[in-house]
Order: sequence, then structure tokens, then C-alpha cells
Amino acid sequence: MNATAEAKKTGFLKRLVSRRVGNKVSPAGNILINLVFIICSIVCIAPIILITIISFTDEKELLANGYSFFPEKFSVKAYDYVITAGDTIWRAYGVSILVTLLGTFLSLMVICFYAYPLSRSSFKYKNFFSFIAYFTMIFGGGLVPWYMVYTQLIPLKNTIWIMIVPYLMNAWYMIIMRTFFKTTVHESIIESAKIDGAGEFRTFFVIVLPLCKAGLATIGLFCTLGYWNDWWLPLVFITEHRLYNIQYLMYQTLNSIQYLASGSASFSESAKVLADLPSESARMAIAVISIGPIIFAYPFFQKYFVKGLTIGAVKG
Amino acid sequence: MSKTKRICSLLLITVLAFALVLSGCTPIGTGTDGGGTTQTDGGETGQTGEAPVKLTWYLVGNRQEPDTPKVLEEANSYLKDKLNVTLDLYVFGWGDDYDQKVNTALAAGEPIDIVFTANWAANYNVNAASGYFKELNAYLDKYPAIKNILGEDFLNGSAINGKNYAVPTNKEKVHNWGWLVRKDLVEKYNMDISNIKSIEAIEPLLKIIKDNEPEITPLCIATMDAPFQLLDWDRISDDDVPGALYPDNRDYTIINHFLAPESIEHYKLMRDWANKGYIHKDAATMQNQVELMKSGRYFAASQSLKPGKDAEMTAQTGIEWLQIDVTRPVMSNRETTGALLAIPAGSKNPEKAFQFIEMLYTDKYLKNLLNYGIENVHYKKISDNVIELIDPDNSGYNPGHGWKFGDQFKDYLMSNEDPQKWDKFLKFNEEGLVLNSLGFMFDKTNVETEISACKNVVQTYYKQLFTGAVEVEPTVEQFEKELKAAGVDELIAEMQRQYDDWRKSK
Repeated sequence: MNATAEAKKTGFLKRLVSRRVGNKVSPAGNILINLVFIICSIVCIAPIILITIISFTDEKELLANGYSFFPEKFSVKAYDYVITAGDTIWRAYGVSILVTLLGTFLSLMVICFYAYPLSRSSFKYKNFFSFIAYFTMIFGGGLVPWYMVYTQLIPLKNTIWIMIVPYLMNAWYMIIMRTFFKTTVHESIIESAKIDGAGEFRTFFVIVLPLCKAGLATIGLFCTLGYWNDWWLPLVFITEHRLYNIQYLMYQTLNSIQYLASGSASFSESAKVLADLPSESARMAIAVISIGPIIFAYPFFQKYFVKGLTIGAVKG
Repeated sequence: MSKTKRICSLLLITVLAFALVLSGCTPIGTGTDGGGTTQTDGGETGQTGEAPVKLTWYLVGNRQEPDTPKVLEEANSYLKDKLNVTLDLYVFGWGDDYDQKVNTALAAGEPIDIVFTANWAANYNVNAASGYFKELNAYLDKYPAIKNILGEDFLNGSAINGKNYAVPTNKEKVHNWGWLVRKDLVEKYNMDISNIKSIEAIEPLLKIIKDNEPEITPLCIATMDAPFQLLDWDRISDDDVPGALYPDNRDYTIINHFLAPESIEHYKLMRDWANKGYIHKDAATMQNQVELMKSGRYFAASQSLKPGKDAEMTAQTGIEWLQIDVTRPVMSNRETTGALLAIPAGSKNPEKAFQFIEMLYTDKYLKNLLNYGIENVHYKKISDNVIELIDPDNSGYNPGHGWKFGDQFKDYLMSNEDPQKWDKFLKFNEEGLVLNSLGFMFDKTNVETEISACKNVVQTYYKQLFTGAVEVEPTVEQFEKELKAAGVDELIAEMQRQYDDWRKSK
């Protein structure tokens, strides 16, 4: 009896609220807002669609008519080239997936392990470790010393680890994560865990981490994107072509073409060399393939993403 | 709570499982890699004291050819008896890719034995000046074969202050400029191309095309690949830096060649041609001239030439071309430092490395093995010196390395190439005028600000002027004003000072 009255009341309140919200945006305004966002979406999506269409366009037609959303002649020759070009591309694909999964997992672990103690007010050396993290944000060693650390001090050159280790720790993500821990997990929750007899590790894994899923997902997405899109580490450290990742392979091809076409390389054979590189449509096909798996990461992370971002940003 | 926990642990387990499964896959990659390094370690320390020396070699190219290991195996077994070395060859992409890798490795003092370098790759001048390359004069005297093959002039041209830090490839040592025109159209309209000896002289041909072929644009231009190059200024620095000498040794005065009277005349000619519709409207924004030529929509293009260039471009573009030589062949710094091999300071076996480089000039078998792959696997011989690729479309080894190292005149010829190619090259080389500036290297350090400021200005204006897209007089006026503000006078003065000093010390 009482409960139904309650329900009626909340129902009424809801209707009231929704009517008010509805009243706030006039139909014209609604259309306008929708229009703006539709345009924004088109601006974002159109290039991807264009790339996909180009990759399916006949090469001859590309040369004659340029890019078009409505090509006259379709062709799958570009994908044929990519598939028959040997195992290079698939191998690079495998390297990218492995590095991304392993890297994201390890990176999240390292970042959390660093951030969590800093979020606890009872941690004695908090300032010292915060300072170290901040310091790396402002000062860097420069390219060559950095290179020497990873080739001579820790000989990781030409291993899969060189594409993971340098990005394991990121001071900026660490700070976001620390803020997240601090604001989401109240000190009293940790205290109550302690009273219930949980050790520090148990508290961390069983209480704190599950409460911070949104934060983990946010930083996880950042790391995933960072690892997937990276071509800089292979550019500097990988000389074995077996260990090239997909982004680097693409970077190498596109950069070569751009360089040769710009005329900076004024040697007599540059034209010949240029002609041997993959055609326009083949390049687009590689781009389309490299978008592949990462596009599926978004929906997975999305529901946590917005929440995590606002918390990290507003209270950081 | 328990639900979240379960989801979370499930997630973790999935990621872990993935990681395990995939890391289970990689040991094939990382494992063999580790194996590779231990092997080389073993090689260096040696079991019997006679273990072969490993030479690491960095080259620029399109890609690491899939069959590289096979070819290297073959080369290693051949080299074992000759020099007792094994090769480790790495190929990196053009531009940033190669420069980044090599420059970082050089700066870190990595033990690389041989690197490809040039005025356009792994910055030869800067790296040599920084002491990253070994001085080779002593070796050149000790093993004279390279000196004999290249000749003093050419070798000195690549030296910096009289010291050789790298050895150039023996190939065409001169360059000239001219036109490539469509053979089918020349025949169709019975054009006479034998009398074209200047830039303007091609105009009647362009007019015929304009009047009769509405589908075809007479002249193909893509940014720097413009007829402007036919003026063939002997540039002191990069393409887009003002400062050049006349290409005929007439004097020793460096001028701002973008605003020289000849250049301004040329801009006016281009403007006239653009107005007459000989140049496509989008010329100023196009990038890749070869790709444009492939499209079949253009009649003529300006190109850097050498004997057989027309046949080469025909093979590449699938359209038949004829070449018209316009400028006189000259030997400039562009050629002497166009393709070099250097030995980095970090090399542990410089002498072996040099001996190997020498073999690239003297050993025909080795040169062709590295260039074309293994006989009867990658190519087959048609006659003594002529070969054919076995699977041209999907070859396991066709890197096109011929011009990057050693003596290119020792390369086999392809069946579709002119059998006289090398003889013509030699003749072409002899015809060349040796420019006064040969061997002069401009040191940018004092005028870096001026150079980058001038580059910015040139980048803003050259495309419009080269393609006739704008009125010449007001643009040139503005161009001149901005270059002055950017410090072009200081830049040219510095070039002149260095050039005079260099001439005195010669």
C-alpha cells in the first residue's frame, strides 16, 4: 500500500522532471543540436569511409580521376596484393596484437601499483615518489641517452619487450589513477577492510580495484590506443623486420613514398624506386586493415570511459 | 559485489590467457632472435680462433626482401673462403625511417660496420663532420682498387677537406636535364624532336597537343619536379635554399638563383604557358610526378636524364617515352655524394669492412648476387651478361640495390635494357663538365636561422612560380622582400665566404 503510493509519487516526479527537461530544449534547438552533431560525426566518419572506398577502387581509375566516394570500377586487387605480399603484414599484425594486450595489462599493473600507495595518506614517502613521477614529466634525458639505456644498460633492442617496456609507466596516467583511487575509495572502506582482517594486497585486489573499474577502463583504453598506434619505438629500436608492427610497417611505406615524391632525395633512381612501392589503393588497404581490431576496443571501454574521464579531469 | 568480482577476475583471466597464448607463439620470433645473438657472440669469441667476423650492414630501400636470408647464406659461404666474414644486411625505408635509425645508432656508437649514406640519406656531411665515420684515406692507399676504378676527380669530389669518409658508387657520374615526351603522340603528329635544345623550344609541340588532344595536358609538373630544374643551377645547399652558381663554370660568384634574371624569365614563360593551358591547374599541389605520368593524361615531363632513361620510364609507367636531352651533362656534388658507403666509428672490424667494400667494386659474382639474388632461383641467364627475372611480379629478391654500392658497371643487364647501356654510361660520364664547386661542402652551422627562414619563404612561393599559377612581377617582388627579411643576404655572403676559403685552400 505504502510502496505503491511511493512508486506513484516517484513516477509523478519523474514525469515532472522529464517534462521540464523537454521544455528546456525547443524543437528548433533540438534540430540544431542534432544537426551540429550529425555534421561532427560525418566529419569524423567520412575520411574512414573514403579510405575504405579507395582501397576497393580500381588503381587505373584512381590515377585518372582521383579519389571519389562513388568510383565507377571496383576492384579487390589491393587486398589481393596485401594478402599475397607474404607473411610480412600478418606477422606485423600478430606483433601489434601481442604487444597491445601484454603491454596494456602490464602497464595497468605498473601504473596501479605506483598510484595506489600515493593515494593513501598513510604512506610515508608519498612526497618523494610523487616528486619522482612529476620530475619525469618535465625533464627527459634526450633521444640518444634514452636509446643507450635500452640498448646497452638493458639490452632490449630487437626484442618484443622494447615495444612494451618504455611505455609501461606514464606519469600522467598515474596521476589520473591516483586521483581516481583517492576519490572513489574512501579511507574508511580501507579501514573497515583492515578491521575485517584483510592485508594490504587483499585490500587492494579485492576491495580497491573492483571499485575502480571505470578508472581502470579509462587508463586501459589509453594504454591500448597508445600501444596499438605506436610506430616510434620500432622506428628507433627494431632492425629485425620480423618484429615490425603493423603501424610501423605502414609508417615506413607512407613515409618512403612521401619522401621520394617530395624530391628531397635527388638521386637518379628515385623515380624508379617510387614506382616499385605499393600503389595508392594498396596503401589504403593496409590502413583499413590496421584499423581492424582497435575499433572493437571502443564499445568495450566506452561505458566506463566517459565516467572515468570526467572524474579524472574534474577532481584532478 | 561478488558479481563485479567475478566479472573482474574473468576479465583478468582472459587477458592473462591471451597473453600466455600469444607469448607462447612468440618464442618462435624472440627465441630465434635470442639464438641469433648468442650465435654471433659465439662467432666473435670463436672456438678455434678462426671464426668469421660478422659485418653489420645498413642499407636504404623499399623493404627487406623476403629471400634475404637465402641470399646472405649464399654470400656468406662465398665470403668465408675469400675474407672470412659473414654478412648481416638490414634494409630500412627511405627518409625519416633510415635517417632516424642510422643517426641514433651512430650517435650511440653502435658497432655497425657499413652504412649507406648520401647527401640525402643519413646526412653524410653532418655525420662525417661529427666524427661518426672512419677516415678511409689510409685504406684507400693500402687497397688501391677502388681508387683506380673511381678515378681521382670523382673520389676527391666526395671528400670533405681532403679526407674521404665514404666511397661513392661507380655509376653515372654526371647528370643532365631534359624532357620525356610520349612516343605515340610524337609519331601521331610527326613531331620533330631532334632540334629541341632549350626549354622554350618544346612550345610548338605543346601547342599541337593543346589544339588536337583535349583529353591530354601538354606538360606535367609536380612541385619540385618542374621545368625550373632545366636551368640546372649548381645549388650550394638544399633544393629550397637560395644560393647557387651558374652550371657552366663562368664565374665564382654565388647568387640567389630563385631571383636571378634567367629564373624570372623562366617564371614568365611558365605563366605564359599556364595561361595558354599547357599546364594543369593542380600542378602546384601535385606530389608524385611519376604517378601522374602513369595516368596517361600528360604529354611531356621534365626529368633528370641519363642514357636509357626513356626505356627505364617506359618499363615503369607502361607508356612509351622518348627522351630529349636539353642541358649539358655536368659532374656536380649531387653525383659525388649521391650514393656512398661509410664505415662508422663504432665498427670493430673496419679493415675487414673495407676489404668487403672493395670486393663490391672488384667481384662481379658478389655484386650481382647481392643485387639480383641467386642464379636460377631469382634470375636466369640469357647470355653471358644478360639476365631475366624468373618471377618479376612476385620475386623473392629484387631489391634494386645496383646503384647503392660498388661498381654498377659490373651489374648484369636485364633483357629489356639496352645492351649498350654501360658503354653509353661511360661515354656520358666522359662528356660531363666538371663543375668548379665539386668537392665543396657548405657548413650550415653559422646560418641555421637564416636557412630555415629562407626555406619557409621559398616553400611559400616556389610552387606558384614554378607552375605559372600567379602573376610573376608582383609575386617576385613580394618574394624578394620576404627573402630579404629572412636574411638571404647574410646567407649568400656566408656561402661566398666559405666557398672562397675553400678555393684558396684547394
